[in-house]
Amino acid sequence: MDNKYDIAVVGSGPAGLSAAINGKIRNKRIIVFGSKELSNKVIKAPKVDNYLGFYGITGAEMKKQFKKHIDAMGIKITYERINAIYAMGDYYGLAVNEKIYEARTVILATGIEYTKPLRGEEEFLGKGVGYCATCDAPLYKGKIVTIIGYNKEAEEETNYVSELAEKVYYVPMYRGAYDLKRGNIEVVSDRPIEIQGKDRVTKVVLKEREIITDGVFVLKDSVAPNQLVPGLLVENDHIKVDLNMQTNLSGCFAAGDCTGKPYQYMRAAGQGQVAALNAVSYLDSLK
Amino acid sequence: MIGEIKDINFSEIIESSNVPVVVDFWAPWCGPCKMLGPVIDEIAGELGEKAKFFKLNVDENPETSSRYKIASIPTIMVFKNGSIADTLVGFRPKDAIKGVIENHI
Repeated sequence: MDNKYDIAVVGSGPAGLSAAINGKIRNKRIIVFGSKELSNKVIKAPKVDNYLGFYGITGAEMKKQFKKHIDAMGIKITYERINAIYAMGDYYGLAVNEKIYEARTVILATGIEYTKPLRGEEEFLGKGVGYCATCDAPLYKGKIVTIIGYNKEAEEETNYVSELAEKVYYVPMYRGAYDLKRGNIEVVSDRPIEIQGKDRVTKVVLKEREIITDGVFVLKDSVAPNQLVPGLLVENDHIKVDLNMQTNLSGCFAAGDCTGKPYQYMRAAGQGQVAALNAVSYLDSLK
Repeated sequence: MIGEIKDINFSEIIESSNVPVVVDFWAPWCGPCKMLGPVIDEIAGELGEKAKFFKLNVDENPETSSRYKIASIPTIMVFKNGSIADTLVGFRPKDAIKGVIENHI
């Protein structure tokens, strides 16, 4: 027996939890990645009337019921954020910073909240645009780098990049005090419009000004699913699945809002169940 | 078996080969590169003599990395008769990489 999990569930909303309980019922080794709040959308719902069996329930109460359910089944949530999921052939590597978890199947239940990409962002991905500043920073030694930061963590990466790059422009997408260490970092409080270039990035166009730059890092809370799982097929901003909730990568399933509309709890829970049961059949077929 | 390719022998290797040459641009500090390594090893094993496989450490070989404008790693380049036939930036699943290489065999 190796130390690989049978099923890694990424997300702790209704889809992820429904997948988790069904995987557990079928006696599989599961790991669930998510947050203490389970789902920010669920806890914010004032009243839910279309979840069968729970007329008039509040989102907060529904979260409590979900929590009670997984606790009763001994399902624990791992409070870690997955940075990337690698399809290794016969298993998946789930990266959390320096740590890698291994699982034979993956169920993506990440919901949908990622921000729309900037104009030019996808076009120049890998040609000057990147999502991991700490990964690619050494390639920009002595060059000009622009970082578009959507959260506080982006400041830390900016400080790291500034040790190598000649000049760093920091474009914050939030308000607050910025903890930036070195003098070669310039904060640009302006709204980015487009990333431009020819065969590589040359500049970032903002509302009020333009920045000539060799590279642009876009650092967000959550990334699009095909950034999270390289090679994953996405269609119209949603993960493409068949009726078995199978994606284009064998052993990788998806459920809930990340697969498309309507964005509803019962659909999410139903899809999570289908995904889990098909992951189980897939695992059985490997033996 | 995957060999190392360096600034000094790069041109000679890609120009003298009569089969496609696959170069994996990587660095020790790059997480996705570490994941890609074993995937490339497997593909190399499966394709045998039909293509040659090399790794290039971008830290130690800045000349080649800058000539081919490597802006993100891992990057996989497929060379045919000395010029670039295909470029893959970022980690890809095994089948996707193998498919791209097979297009040039």
